[in-house]
Order: sequence, then structure tokens, then C-alpha cells
Amino acid sequence: MLFLAPLRRTIRQRALVLALVRRELSARYRGGALGFLWSFLNPLLLLLVYATVFRFVFSPRADVRPYALFLFGGVLVWGFGSSALLDSVETFRANGALLRKTTVAPEVFPASAVGARLAHLLLALPVLAAAIAFAAISGRVRLGLPLLEFPLVLALMVATVFGASLACSALAVHYGDVRDIVANLLTLSFFVTPVLYPVEAVPERWRWLMRCNPWAPFFTGLQDTLFFFRPVPASDWAQMGASAILSLAIGGTVFEKLRDALAEEA
Amino acid sequence: MSAREPAVSVHRVSKEYRRYTRREHGTLKSAVLSRRGAPAGEGVAALSEVSFDVDPGETLGVIGANGSGKSTLLKVLAGIVRPTRGTVDVRGRLAALLELGAGFHPEISGRENVEITGLLLGLTRREIADRFEEIVRFAGVEEFLDAPVKTYSSGMAVRLGFAIAAASDPDVFLVDEVLAVGDEAFAHRALEKFSDFERVGKTLVFVSHDLSLVADRCRRALWLDGGRVVADGPAAETVARYRERVATEEGERRLREAGENRRVGSGTATIESVRVKDGEGKAAGRLHCGQPATLEMTVEAREPLSDFVFGFQISTVAGTVVLGVNTSTDGMAPERLSGRASVALSLPSVDLAPGVYMLDAAVHARDGAPYDYRRDVLRFEVTADSAATGIWSPRRGWAFSGDVRWSR
Repeated sequence: MLFLAPLRRTIRQRALVLALVRRELSARYRGGALGFLWSFLNPLLLLLVYATVFRFVFSPRADVRPYALFLFGGVLVWGFGSSALLDSVETFRANGALLRKTTVAPEVFPASAVGARLAHLLLALPVLAAAIAFAAISGRVRLGLPLLEFPLVLALMVATVFGASLACSALAVHYGDVRDIVANLLTLSFFVTPVLYPVEAVPERWRWLMRCNPWAPFFTGLQDTLFFFRPVPASDWAQMGASAILSLAIGGTVFEKLRDALAEEA
Repeated sequence: MSAREPAVSVHRVSKEYRRYTRREHGTLKSAVLSRRGAPAGEGVAALSEVSFDVDPGETLGVIGANGSGKSTLLKVLAGIVRPTRGTVDVRGRLAALLELGAGFHPEISGRENVEITGLLLGLTRREIADRFEEIVRFAGVEEFLDAPVKTYSSGMAVRLGFAIAAASDPDVFLVDEVLAVGDEAFAHRALEKFSDFERVGKTLVFVSHDLSLVADRCRRALWLDGGRVVADGPAAETVARYRERVATEEGERRLREAGENRRVGSGTATIESVRVKDGEGKAAGRLHCGQPATLEMTVEAREPLSDFVFGFQISTVAGTVVLGVNTSTDGMAPERLSGRASVALSLPSVDLAPGVYMLDAAVHARDGAPYDYRRDVLRFEVTADSAATGIWSPRRGWAFSGDVRWSR
């Protein structure tokens, strides 16, 4: 199985991937007086802006209140996926010296790009948890056990993002326009993915389009588990699983095909 | 001869780099639309049919001009780039030090960089923790461990990079020209480390432009030119051959570049190359006062000649003629010259004061009509134990009488 090789190498190099993620985080936060506090402050400020705007400026649909909470979760998770892919496109350029001068397995760079963005998301999750707890205490949402399904939704999404990131990172070394293509695709898919709206807002006869969008089930899954607190339907699990496997298979194959030339071209 | 398996064996390795034009095929869009496969382009051969083995415990120096394929060879050995053809086998743990401090991130601390670099070199976290003290001590960066690496002096960063690589305790250590960047003390310590490696049977392959270092430190040297192995043998011998080639090429280049005004003659016979060799027969471009030397030229006669004179003239850079001599002034009567010939004028002792001198070489008819006269065909430097000035510096002795004393 050709496509499994990059995955296996990533797992073998997990200590290095973790160290690169830590390096990325500590380099980012070093020098700022608030340091790691920023990873809480950023999402917190975002949440406050949403809460203010959607309370006093726009009036959202009745079925997604409190909309600030709904939007916050979606934006955090979307932010993880899209920044991870954009970072992957740059990762070999940024680490070109390492690639050319050391015997490192190149898989570790897309893996650590995704890992670093995942770490940012995980650091922001306590803010989301606090917001959910606050909404629950003030009686605006009713908590339910399905929220325990969220880690699995996230895990499948991480696998999907990693597969795509393998392909994007390797292709970007060979082709100059990958960054633009990825950026435009992301902008486009932001609106056809249920991030800003629940899937129910899509007219019934267009719902099938959501089935074609590999990102969609992760966001409906997110909304199900952390907003509506209802179990994720089996069809969504199936679609998430399919997205993850397909993405890893395609990404792994593309990466493996281009892998040998990476150190020469980066 | 070692009965052991070689630590490194390279079998008929060739490497071609694709030099494709990014403009034409550089976008995914065009690649998909034109339905072409990988962008095509002419190949540039960086290595051709290179084969050699390195025994465990052997230190191999790799020499050659820039662009001769030395760095590509190390990258192929390290597995960073895959050979286009041929096979490479490395037995044991390999560490490649192609650039000191490659992988250092300027914003994070020395401590964190040690960990990442160690992992990059294939150490486990446990091994890094165990060897941390040793690394820090070798690099001498104890007080700066928690400061970001961007605050390090370049010397500190270089020492730290080397210390980590050395601590990775490889069986095969590939080193690319890293001693050139540190100061004398660092180079000394690094060389000591290399000797330690050699003593315990580790294999070292290192690329260097420092020929004396290669001659001193390596038992064996590999000389690459244009991606091919020109020579592979005892280091001192290979280095000497390489030096000679460089000097010859330099002489030929000078000849080519010598302008028309510096070259006169009918061309009936032409001077193909001119060399100045020292007492050991090396064309080093440098002579030592009091030591023997040989002036050589190779001459090609277009047609058989019976009237010919070979001559050399040495002048100072300022233009003062020090010696003008030819076969006619030295009493030889020509009879026949045909085809290619080499001419050597040996001087048992170069009695010149230290400085730079110019050499003219000529082949002409007895009446002085030049076949080929080459002015300033090459320059050589004379060094001396004495700092005497002037031009002539013969063997000499001082004598004193009366109350004259010297402290030594």
C-alpha cells in the first residue's frame, strides 16, 4: 500500500513532529509579553465580538441561538483546517534548508504544520468549553451526552486535513500556483460548507450538494455534538470516514510519488 | 586489506539533476491542462559512474573544484537525494553534517534547538538527554542555553551544531567543509573529535577545499572532476596530483588569456603550456629561495624545424630582467625539432629574494624572429627564510671580528 508509507514514517518520527510543533508554538509566542496567553485571548476576543454583534446588530435565525456560540465553534474548527492547509503549502519552502541539509523524513514538515494548527485549536477549546458551560448555566442550551462524540469528529477531520496537507505540500514544491489554488478553493468552500449556517438552512433539494462536499460532515458533526447536543447520524459518520480514508490515500500517493524530488526542488 | 565489510559502498552511482524551465511547466494548472507528466528538461549530470568503498575506521577526503560533484556525492551518501542510477550502501548509523547549525531556529533557545537538531540527526529523546551535558560542554554555551539562538555569536552556533552532530555518535560521519567556518580553536577541537572517531573505528567522509588538511588527516582521498572520479588513492599522492593539475590549468588559462600584444610570433611552432615546478616536482606556483626549481614548456612544431631556440626570461613585476637565457646563449646548436616536445630548464638553486616574478617563454629562430613569444606567461612567488630585499639572494655567510655579539 503505497499511500501508507508517508503515514508510517510520520508515526515513526512522532517525537520529531512533536518537537517541531513545540518549536513552532514557542517561537510564535516568544517575545510577546503575554506569551501563550494569546492563544486564549485571541479566541476570547473573537467570541466577544460575535456575542456583541449578533446580540445588538444582526438578528440570527431562531434555530441557531445563541448564534455567537454556534459561529464560534465553526470558525475555530474552520480556522484550524484552512490555516493548516495554507501552512502546508509553505512548509517546504520554509524548511528548505533542513530538507536539503539533513536526512530528515520530509513527512514531518506537513505533519508539524497540521500539528501546530491543531495545537492552537486545542488551546482555544477551553474558551469554547467555557462558553458552552456559560450558555448551559444561563439556560440557553441544554447539554447532552453526544458532546462526547466530538473528539472522534475532530480526529477524523485531522486525518482528512493531514491527507490533504501531504498532497498540497508536495505539489507546492513543484508548481508555483498551488498556493493560489488552495487559497481560492478554501474561500469558495467556506461558503458551501455549513460553518456560518446549520445544514437545515440549505433547501432540501440542494442538500445532496452537502454530500459531495468532503468538509461538510465535520461541521455538521461539530454542530451536532457541541451545539445541538444530538448524536451524529450514521450517514455522517460514514461520510467522515470516507473523507478521511480518501484524503489519506490520495494525499499519501501524491506525496510518495513526489517525495524523492522534494530535497532537490524545495 | 580489510576482511570486514566496507562501511560505505558506492557502486556506479550517477546523478542527473533535471534543469527544467519553470516558466513553461511551473504551474499545476498548465501541467493539468497540457496533460503532460512531470516537467521535462535537459539533465545535468552531477555524478557519473562513481564507484568506491570506504572501510570501517577509514577517513576519506573528497577533493575537487567547485561544481565537481562533491556535495552531491555527500547528499547521495546521506540519502538526501536519490541517485539516478547505481546503488549506495551505508552500514551503521549515519550522520550528515552538511551545514553547521542547519535546522537551528533563531527564535527558540539553545536548549530547544539541541533537542530538535538531535532528533533530526536520528537521536532519541533519551539519548539527547543523556548527552546534553557533553554537547553543552563541547560547545561552551553553558550560560546561554536559555537564550534564543539569534543572540548567539556565529562561533557559538557553529560549535553547538558541531557538538550535537558529534554527540550523535554515528558509525559513518559525512562532513561538508565545516571546519572553514570556525576559529582556530574550534577547528582544533573538531579535528581532535575526528581523530577520536577514527581511533574507535568510525568512518569519516569529508569534503574540503583545504588540501593540506586532507593530505594530513586522511589516509585516502578521492578526487572528483565533472562528476567523475579522477583519482582515488593515498591522500598525499592524490592531493599532489590535484595541485599539479590546478597549477597546469592555471598556466594554460593564462596562456589563453594572454593578449595578442603579449604573444607574438609566426606560429610555426607554438608553446602549449608553461610550468614552474619546485624541488619536489610539484607545479605549485611557489618556490623557495635556495631550493631547486624547473622551468618547463611544451612546444608543438607545425612542421619539422632545423632552426629553433628555446628561451626563458624571468623578470620582476616592475619589469627588471633577472635572467634571460636560451638554448643559443647556452651554446646549443639546433638540429631538428618536430611534433610535440617538452623543454625543461633546471635551476639547482633559486637564488631570488622573496617576491613575485614573471616568466616569459619563447621559441624563435636563431636570428631572433619569433615563432611564439609569450610575455608574462605565468607568475610565481618566491618565499625565503630571510626577509632580504632586492632581487639576488645568494647563499651567504656572515663573519665578525672584534667585540660583536648576537643573542642567538
